[in-house]
Amino acid sequence: MLSVISYPVFVLSVIVSLVLSISLFPVGWFEFRPEWLGLIVFYWTFRAPAQFGVLFAWCLGLLLDVLEATPLGVNALGMALIAFLVLTIHQRLRMYPWPQQCLMVFLLLGINQMLVHFLKQVFGGEDAGFSYLWPALTSALIWPVFSILMDNINRKLG
Amino acid sequence: MPGLRLLLVIIVSAALIVADQQFDRLAPVRSTLATGLTPVYWLGNAPYQFSDWVAGLFTTREDVKQENEDLKARLLILERRALKYAALASENNELRRLMNSSELLDDRVIVSEVVSVSPDPYSHEIIINKGRSDGLQVGQAILDAHGLMGQVVQTSQVTSRVLLVSDSSHAVPVEVVRNGLRAILLGTGDSGTLDLVHVPDTADIREGDLLVSSGLGGRFPRGYPVAEVSLINKEPGEPFVSIRARPKAQLNQSRLVLVVFPPKGGPRSEPATGDQVQPASPASDTEQEGQG
Repeated sequence: MLSVISYPVFVLSVIVSLVLSISLFPVGWFEFRPEWLGLIVFYWTFRAPAQFGVLFAWCLGLLLDVLEATPLGVNALGMALIAFLVLTIHQRLRMYPWPQQCLMVFLLLGINQMLVHFLKQVFGGEDAGFSYLWPALTSALIWPVFSILMDNINRKLG
Repeated sequence: MPGLRLLLVIIVSAALIVADQQFDRLAPVRSTLATGLTPVYWLGNAPYQFSDWVAGLFTTREDVKQENEDLKARLLILERRALKYAALASENNELRRLMNSSELLDDRVIVSEVVSVSPDPYSHEIIINKGRSDGLQVGQAILDAHGLMGQVVQTSQVTSRVLLVSDSSHAVPVEVVRNGLRAILLGTGDSGTLDLVHVPDTADIREGDLLVSSGLGGRFPRGYPVAEVSLINKEPGEPFVSIRARPKAQLNQSRLVLVVFPPKGGPRSEPATGDQVQPASPASDTEQEGQG
């Protein structure tokens, strides 16, 4: 748990993650783009479970729905699910070493991706095998760097 | 407590998804949210504009001069073509008048810039920086310098979302320039190939044929190049030939696009000539193949 939470940093991180989820990634490698907003939801719910939760994640997911032009509510539901799962395991998660934390990131974001992919399929999306899980993997790989960076920024500005 | 919230959120999401997907009730909400998210689109596009600006700073005078000369030469060629075109257009109007059909007005266009591409690798969509405040509406055609790119599917106040012809949910009614054979061109989800479907085995079509929008279906303006037939595969025993086409527009390169406005006076209507029945939907247009 963080001793201080910097709300400006929170707002900024949300905006940056939204920008990153539509831009600044090499064209043709979109499959591997980390699920930035998912990471943000994971991070803030993990670090400040008393302040950020399911409803917050849902609202952020709704913005992602607009950006990605998915049916409104699909990503929102996925993000809310991440927040809920983090809330249920955050006490254990704190004890885990890095590799295990990464595994949890992969699992939770993977569940989110699976749900989103399933709902898209229901509404006639394209089936592309298991490649929809790549974002969960890349997110898990950058989780240590991401969380250390965010902690530092929080400590400096909080 | 989180469980209760999750339950609430699941119910609300389900309601939203159904309202959005089945009843199409949420377009205003989505449009409002998209307008609110405009800064995000701007920020997403800012690095590219910045790099363009920096590149512009370091262009030498010789380069600019060279480019200027090239452009002038190009302008000359295009002007010559435009001259010929003007003559042809007036001749065409004259002929149409002689045939007592309604005249075809030239389409009005505005230039727009691509500010973002869809983050979803499985959908071919782009965001352009013109929206409702510029008069854009859902259904307008988008072109680049080489051909038809797609159509507007969502608008917000200052941006619009464009579905490209290569998206797997997209279809364009087209005709072969050489003989007027009509067919439907489907996107495949691959930006380099389109599928021409339901073309009978005996149809007169060759590799290299240019496909232009036929204007049937009432959504796309008539006569813009869409694709070029690249591969024809005749399977003996199959009722239809499988035909691949390459889009003429540079779907994943163009940064400047043109938005076509239908001629003034209500929705686009095709000139109805005696021997041509206009189908109500693009789907029914295949049934009339071979007449043209």
